Amino acid sequence: MAKIEPITGRYIYVPFEGTEYRIFFEEAGEGIPLLCLHTAGTDSREWRHQLCDPDINKHFRVIALDLPRHGKSIPPGDWYKETEEYKLTAHFYSGILMAFCEALGLENPVVMGSSMGGNICLHLALHHEKDLRALIAIEACDYSPGWHLDWLHNSQVHGGEACATSVFGLMAPQSPDEYRWETWWYYSQGGPGVFKGDLFFYSVDHDFRELADKLSGNVPMYLMTGVYDFACTPEMTEETAQKIKGSECIIMQEIGHFPMCENPEVFKKYLMPVLDKIRAQA
Amino acid sequence: MTQFDSSWMAGWRTLVNENEVLGHVGKHLNADVLLEFGDTSYVVSFRKGQIVELEEGVSPETCWNFGLRGPADTWAKFCEDPPPPMYNDIWAMAHPLHGRLVFDGDVKVLWQNLRAFTWALDRMREVKG
Repeated sequence: MAKIEPITGRYIYVPFEGTEYRIFFEEAGEGIPLLCLHTAGTDSREWRHQLCDPDINKHFRVIALDLPRHGKSIPPGDWYKETEEYKLTAHFYSGILMAFCEALGLENPVVMGSSMGGNICLHLALHHEKDLRALIAIEACDYSPGWHLDWLHNSQVHGGEACATSVFGLMAPQSPDEYRWETWWYYSQGGPGVFKGDLFFYSVDHDFRELADKLSGNVPMYLMTGVYDFACTPEMTEETAQKIKGSECIIMQEIGHFPMCENPEVFKKYLMPVLDKIRAQA
Repeated sequence: MTQFDSSWMAGWRTLVNENEVLGHVGKHLNADVLLEFGDTSYVVSFRKGQIVELEEGVSPETCWNFGLRGPADTWAKFCEDPPPPMYNDIWAMAHPLHGRLVFDGDVKVLWQNLRAFTWALDRMREVKG
């Protein structure tokens, strides 16, 4: 009997601000919708372990999408005529996510994202709290400067190798080599300028320093950060969590910026209690 | 032998030159690199991923392509196995949030060779003594 994973992948057409985006997503399981957001410059493959985990997908409909320009989600058809470099904004990011949820008919999903996917959770909490069940913001804080670098998109530098190696040290040395280098592989496959463009959101457009304490606290928010994350340190997450009413801050030992894919076993120990709380709340 | 002295660096050089992965990924690593460990500096000359020359000290006549400058105790933490958080990677140490390491010179050459160069530096954790 062949070993086949429970993941299925499909494409959905998502209209947003006059453009129809063909978006790829993977899913597995049934239950509470759990939308998983990949990190900058990569795609839904980062969530393959959680998608396949029966302890998770027996209670949750786990869905991981590729943002436009990432993975199997093609860019807008006229991307090659763009006169400015790609820059992800909070407006587009939160808008396309909510448009995706509407197109797929997801009712009050849990959104779980890492890095830029964690930072966008703060924007979703501010603008869309009524449409969300809970937010799991991984490796997130109110401001994460320092990553919008030209070297990540330069014709004299191999973008795949440079982008992938630049993030390698964000992972904990204790994480299995196999998974750390798998994550490196994902990063080596991003389109030109996409990682850098995503980092415009991560390091520039995302600035919640004056907004974090404005969140109502009505939507439960869990902030989870690994101790080896040098881009969003545990201290940065803790300071942000102190500003957000009702939030819970979880610091994860011996793991870094990519918990779901660099060390899924360690991540699971921290994630399951959070998912149990969300289920209990439902 | 103490950490970062000439004997220690010679041990690192051997590990780099015997590393078979670097023989593959370092094919295009050709650069003269300044490594500054506090008061001690070396210019390490890489050719095709191999260290062909290791020169201690910097004079007005010394040429190099790019450099990494940092305190010796920062480098010592980088060399621990496992290294502690914030010290496990050169970009971790050099990121503007932390500033423990300075990238200097023609850093384009660093970014062009980031994979092979960091693989070579990681061999420092294998130096005995």
